[in-house]
Amino acid sequence: MADNDPPEDALNTLRRRVAEARGESAPAAPPPQSPASLAMRFGGEFGAAIIVGALLGYGADVFLHTSPWGLLIGLMLGFAAGIVNIVRVARAYSQAHPVDPNTPSVQDDEED
Amino acid sequence: MSNDPIHQFHIEPILPVDIAGLDASFTNASLAMVAGVGAAALFFNWAMKPAALVPSRQQVVAEGAYNFIHGMVKDTAGEEGVKKFFPFVFTLFLFIFMSNMLGMFPGAFGVPHMFTPTSQIIVTASMALIVFFTVIIVGFAKNGLKFLKLFVPSGVPPVLYLIVTPIEVVSFFSRPLSHAVRLWANIFAGHVLLKVFAGFVPAMASVGFLGVVGAALPLAMTVALYGLEFLVAFLQAYVFAILTCIYLNDALHPGH
Repeated sequence: MADNDPPEDALNTLRRRVAEARGESAPAAPPPQSPASLAMRFGGEFGAAIIVGALLGYGADVFLHTSPWGLLIGLMLGFAAGIVNIVRVARAYSQAHPVDPNTPSVQDDEED
Repeated sequence: MSNDPIHQFHIEPILPVDIAGLDASFTNASLAMVAGVGAAALFFNWAMKPAALVPSRQQVVAEGAYNFIHGMVKDTAGEEGVKKFFPFVFTLFLFIFMSNMLGMFPGAFGVPHMFTPTSQIIVTASMALIVFFTVIIVGFAKNGLKFLKLFVPSGVPPVLYLIVTPIEVVSFFSRPLSHAVRLWANIFAGHVLLKVFAGFVPAMASVGFLGVVGAALPLAMTVALYGLEFLVAFLQAYVFAILTCIYLNDALHPGH
């Protein structure tokens, strides 16, 4: 019966079956990230946001003659944006590497 | 000279070119970049020439690389991202990967060392800026003003937009910087570290017998670092490519 299909359909069916058999998401297994590279990522995101924020603020100062307020506000905004960046990276990381639900919780070694 | 860890990053003109006062010489950096592109193009043409149903070894490598990036673009940017940006991302990945890998080889044929183009921040910065402007242009072309929703996250009380929007803008503009610096810093620091440890070996060996014995330590460290650098060369190309995908996804689907 399958032989009666037009060849295009047969090809599509085959493609779908191959995709199903492969489980589809097999090829893109991200390589393990070392803690050091993750730390560098955090640092980079944080620092970059501060530098860009300060530069944007300084640029506003130069053009609007509002020195030093642009630089100050820009620095604060850059700081906040850096935190936002870090939270985003961390959230993406913990979504990609969910903690095993069977992991025992960390023992409370406080004295109380 | 050979003990100077920075010497490997010197740019020397091979073919001096001067266009209207601008120095556009063909340098060792240009040569390394051409070699990287050429190596990738030659390998893929050679490996895929038979295009056999039962692939040869080299064809498996070529198809594996293709599938790897294809799956990555699909996972992060969706089917639409594959249609629009897959060639772009694959080219970026191959170029960075080949540049990093070629830079790992010691020199030959009178060339004192291979140059690593990705250890120059201007190279990584221009690639990051290409991605940045692609995101902006495609974002506005496809979504129009809706692209600005990127800076106005939903589910925030209206008063807070006064603070949140500037923060999002700064965060958006900080992307090309961190994107470029991450690749450059990793490659640059790795190569300096390699050269420093390798420089210890002759320095210690010249002291005497004990020095020769002790020189085994930095030598072992150099070998270990070399292995690590190969991993970094791949990993940073991958990280650059996946971040490109994430940013391009913002252009296709603005609003978090």
